[in-house]
Amino acid sequence: MKFFTKEAENLCNKLIDNANAFMFYLDNKGEITMCNKKSEDLTGLARKDILNKNWLDVLYGSDSADIKKQMFKSVMEDSVTYQRNNNFEGLFRDSSGRDKFISWNITPIASDRGHDGTLLIGNDLTLLKAKEASHKKNDDILSNIFASIKEYALYVTNLQGKITYYGMGSEVMFGWLKKEIIFKDVNILYPEESRNSLPFIFEQVNISGKYEVEIELVKKEGFSFPVTLTVSKFLNAEGKLKGYIFIAKDITERKKLEYQIFQAEKLAAIGQLAAGMAHEINNPIFVISGRAEMLLEGTDLSQEARKDIEIINSQADRIRKLVDSLLKFSRHNSKQLQEVNINDTIEGVLSLIGYHKLPSHEVEINKDFALDLRPVKADLNQLQEVFLNLFINAFQAMPNGGRLGIATKNINDKFVEIQVGDTGVGIDSKHLKDIFMPFFSTKKEGTGLGLPICYNIVKDYGGDMFVVTQLNKGTTFTVRLPFA
Amino acid sequence: MSYKVLVVDDEAPVRELFGELLKKAKCDVTCVGAGEEALCVFSEHNFDVVLLDIKLVGMSGLDVLKKLREKKNDAVVVMMTGFGYDDGLIAKSKEYGCSGYIGKNMPISQIMSSFHMFVSAAKEKGKK
Repeated sequence: MKFFTKEAENLCNKLIDNANAFMFYLDNKGEITMCNKKSEDLTGLARKDILNKNWLDVLYGSDSADIKKQMFKSVMEDSVTYQRNNNFEGLFRDSSGRDKFISWNITPIASDRGHDGTLLIGNDLTLLKAKEASHKKNDDILSNIFASIKEYALYVTNLQGKITYYGMGSEVMFGWLKKEIIFKDVNILYPEESRNSLPFIFEQVNISGKYEVEIELVKKEGFSFPVTLTVSKFLNAEGKLKGYIFIAKDITERKKLEYQIFQAEKLAAIGQLAAGMAHEINNPIFVISGRAEMLLEGTDLSQEARKDIEIINSQADRIRKLVDSLLKFSRHNSKQLQEVNINDTIEGVLSLIGYHKLPSHEVEINKDFALDLRPVKADLNQLQEVFLNLFINAFQAMPNGGRLGIATKNINDKFVEIQVGDTGVGIDSKHLKDIFMPFFSTKKEGTGLGLPICYNIVKDYGGDMFVVTQLNKGTTFTVRLPFA
Repeated sequence: MSYKVLVVDDEAPVRELFGELLKKAKCDVTCVGAGEEALCVFSEHNFDVVLLDIKLVGMSGLDVLKKLREKKNDAVVVMMTGFGYDDGLIAKSKEYGCSGYIGKNMPISQIMSSFHMFVSAAKEKGKK
């Protein structure tokens, strides 16, 4: 450095000493002839103990057989041999025992005499690497989470509500493929009636950072389903709001269960009420009907009076039947359990249909009974009640005639399945959720108790009952009862 | 066939109706409104048949039936109730020795024919 003025040399040394890097200058034999102050921090050695030492011995200790040391040495040799810059990165333990991640830059210096020496400058990247590692770790955690959850869907929108990320679970949950939905408006996942709720949700997230709501979303096929939706802010690295993260959890099963519990409680309450009322109602009705019948037995009635009394009698009869149904609906304690062959039960009930004055002559009955049908354990009267109700409904659904199909079979080695299908008017989809509810009826004279009674009975035996219907095509009720 | 019948029901309109229906059927009918009264009347007169409401104010129909049987009385007893059939009550009544069970949820004509059926069956059995 003879070509520097004294002043320039001082300035240069100051710069070098204060630089936030480890700096060494090695001569052509690899001995350190110059180092800056910062390099003392790394090595834990005073400058006088660094100078004139082999650079590898200073950085690694002379006895170290570290593979990294070997690699660093070859990189250095490469630089010297080919006179080119090289980089070498690695962990170095500093004087206080902390591991530092250092990126070294090797710059060979040559003159017309050949290789003169090497400039070795190290940058401490420990903090940077730690940040990267934590990001990578987060990414790993996230992808693990996404891989392990199936009932969740994660998607992200930008501030305008356009889907910018459509994560794992989303395709399964919504049925849309990523390529179909990416950059579409997130409203595509919302049923029409709740599409205007998004600005509100975004506002809530902006205020409180997070928003959780039970809401219905909609699948590609158009079916809506309940989810708990958690919406939170999507921030970029600088903490600036870039969009919203949505996590949707399908709660269809939970909702179903809640609804069933609600139903069961409601039914139990109605049952209790019914039993309490029955006695009080039956007595007066009994008297009204009795008196009416006695009057009708007399011969001195005018035709008009007779007609009126007949109306009184038939209306009283209607109430009596209603109370009777209510009792059937509520009564669970009076079962006589026996092994029942459903095929026989159905035959028996069909023979009753004439007695119920149904227009059975206009209806063709197709039976498809499994001959090896397993018995079920149940109260025969209750099962008759179930099928009678289903058949009556089927006939009433076909006022202009049609076909009543009754099929029985064993399924899953567990249940007897009975299907009762008609070719009648069908059930309006808006009524479907109500048909098993007591007092729901679309018929003028219906009590709204037929199907709830059936449902209660079937459920009581650990069975299940459901319906498939199509307007003006027909309805099929499926009943499943466990094997005896 | 006509019988001497005791009707026990705490509701006047009900027992009056039974009274009239049975009188029409040529029976000799006495109506009372309580269990204690029924036992009283019973000790003074002989009845072929007792039509006994299961739910009475005060002493219940089942208690009345039990007391009657304790007195070694072999009258035909037909229980009735405003409830529909109840296996628990039927079993209890049968245990105490009733001959039949009528639900007031049936049409009158059916109630009356059930009543006659139970009585004649019980009488037949008694003869044997």
